[in-house]
Amino acid sequence: MNLSQFNRILRQVFLLPVVALLLAAVALYLQIQGANSTVRLIQESDAHISQVSRLNTLILNEESALRGYENTSDARFLQPYLDASPRLQAEFDKMRSLPGLDEVEKGYIDDLIEKHQLWLDAFALPVVATIEAGGQVRDVDLNLRGKSMMDDIRHDLSNTTHNAEQRRAVRINLWQDQVRRMEWFLLVLALCVGIFIGLFTRNRLHAVSDAYRTSLDVLGRRAEEIFQSEQQLRTTLASIGDGVITCDTEGLVQMMNPVAMELTGWSQAEAYGRPLETIFHIVNEATRATVENPVSKVKRLNRIVGLGNHTILIRKDKTELHIADSGAPIRDRTDGIAGVVMVFRDITLERKTQDALLANEKLAVAGRLAATIAHEIHNPLDSVSNLLYLMRNGATKEESVQFMDMAEQELARVTQISRAMLGLYRESRAPVLVDLKEMLQEILLLMERRFSDDQVIVHTDLPSGISVDAFPAELRQVFSNLITNAAEAAGPGGQVNVSLRPQPALSINGIKQESGATVTITDNGIGIPEEVQPHLFQPFFTTKGERGTGLGLWVSRGIVTKHGGTIDLASDTSEATHGTSVSVFLATKPTINAGGD
Amino acid sequence: MAQEPHLVLCVDDELIGLKVRKILLERAGYRVLTAPDGSAGLELFASEPIDCVVLDYSMPGMNGGEVAAKMRQAKPHIPILLLSAYIGLPSEVLSMVDLCMTKGEGPPVLLSKLGSLLQPISRA
Repeated sequence: MNLSQFNRILRQVFLLPVVALLLAAVALYLQIQGANSTVRLIQESDAHISQVSRLNTLILNEESALRGYENTSDARFLQPYLDASPRLQAEFDKMRSLPGLDEVEKGYIDDLIEKHQLWLDAFALPVVATIEAGGQVRDVDLNLRGKSMMDDIRHDLSNTTHNAEQRRAVRINLWQDQVRRMEWFLLVLALCVGIFIGLFTRNRLHAVSDAYRTSLDVLGRRAEEIFQSEQQLRTTLASIGDGVITCDTEGLVQMMNPVAMELTGWSQAEAYGRPLETIFHIVNEATRATVENPVSKVKRLNRIVGLGNHTILIRKDKTELHIADSGAPIRDRTDGIAGVVMVFRDITLERKTQDALLANEKLAVAGRLAATIAHEIHNPLDSVSNLLYLMRNGATKEESVQFMDMAEQELARVTQISRAMLGLYRESRAPVLVDLKEMLQEILLLMERRFSDDQVIVHTDLPSGISVDAFPAELRQVFSNLITNAAEAAGPGGQVNVSLRPQPALSINGIKQESGATVTITDNGIGIPEEVQPHLFQPFFTTKGERGTGLGLWVSRGIVTKHGGTIDLASDTSEATHGTSVSVFLATKPTINAGGD
Repeated sequence: MAQEPHLVLCVDDELIGLKVRKILLERAGYRVLTAPDGSAGLELFASEPIDCVVLDYSMPGMNGGEVAAKMRQAKPHIPILLLSAYIGLPSEVLSMVDLCMTKGEGPPVLLSKLGSLLQPISRA
């Protein structure tokens, strides 16, 4: 059941009783109206009866006054008669105009008026006239006739009253019937409406209660699921091998997992609510400058940030750890930032291992080169010492000149080689302008012997005047590595191409590339199978068996990355066009990525 | 000493070095043949009555070890002196030659080693 259904039921439960009660009220109103009209009729009857009684009284007054006047002939006795006569006329009119008279009653009234008029004309007026004239009215007949007329009048009055009372009784009965009916009607109506409302409400409430029970079940299940998933998350978080710290948007620590507590040296209780930079105090390895607060960095960039690789965490007890870390925003439903989560791990050991590996590879390169150099130096030295021996043991003047020329040539070779060698391991602290042509030629010179030993033919295409900012010793390591690989891949009779191309600044698909230079080293060896290619830049991966350290390309890529450049490898193993090509792009003015490895 | 001077074959790809070594050995009383690489050396070794070989190790194509192996197959009794600019050559190479020396040790060492290799023959 959804909310609108629930609201509909609420409306029904509210409106239906109201409608039912309204209908009941209307019915009741109609009933009461009926009863009221009956009451009105009863009131009419009452008015009728009282009017008749008033007429009766007035007529009685007339008669008694006339009788007193007859006996005394005193005009004062006649006064009530005189008073009653005009009033009686008005009362008769009123009587006739009373509402609700039926024909019978009207007949009675007309009869009454007629008889009264007859009594007046035939008896009362002559009597009054006689007495006023000083006569006596002792005639029994006349008085009997007057009495009989008056009896008629009385009879009529009594009839009228009787009739009115009967009608009244009928109307009262009717009213009582109506009231009784109404009572029954009310009772039945109340019962029906009550039962109807009760049943209906019960039905609706059942629906609501079912829905409520279902909701409760669902809620219960949800709560259980949420509890389970929270437990799972909690366990997961506690089991993660990396340190995890979550912060609110103000950068105050909310939660730390056990690894984070161990690495920082702070417990959850101590850390809760403290600023992140207190708990997670990080500085740059080289500069010792405090690294930007990850929370503000994440908020500023509004995305996942990898924090500098050369980061040192200063623990609570002031000991230091090398860490690799990243920060990510915690999103709320509206995609806003609800907090920040930091993930970091101790890479102290890793860094030491990595440093050792780098040093190892450097030594391996140095070892290989040392052998080459020893060869290159020993050969001319051998010639020179032989020449000196010859000169010391009696050479002619011409011979000596010839020998000295030869010795000089050989010494020049030694000098050239030792210069190239010096450049190879001269470390510089800041990047310097490196002429790529010069550098590549020096490397090729050192390797010349090797190429001729292996019968590898080297083609070069090195335009002059292309320079980049770089650490020369490191670049030499990269290129000597790549050229050695190419020569080994090419094998006896194979060819190696070393070319240099300037690379103007361009923007591909919106990704801007700086201007720089690309060095491409191509061999026509058998190529590298596709399944091997993804592993080439991994440490300890080698295709050369015992002869390789498996670190060359890994270190080379590290160096190129550090120089803000890229290294790409393409290889073809097909019969006709096999070979491998490695391109190294170096920016002219790179942002040196300290520790890009 | 009516005996004809020993014929020494020098194989080296270092042309100046080879030329100087030839002069040096000729001054020391040897007859000298030179070859700039392994295959040329093997040809001379097969065609000439070589008494001793002064062989460079590091050469393009065929290195001193391979050349020595072939010479041993052809004429096992001819002494071979291996010259090398490297220190620490593979032991199977060292076991194949009679003597071995590093370039730069100087002419007296070369001459004395060469002499020690040829003495038994001159005595015989």
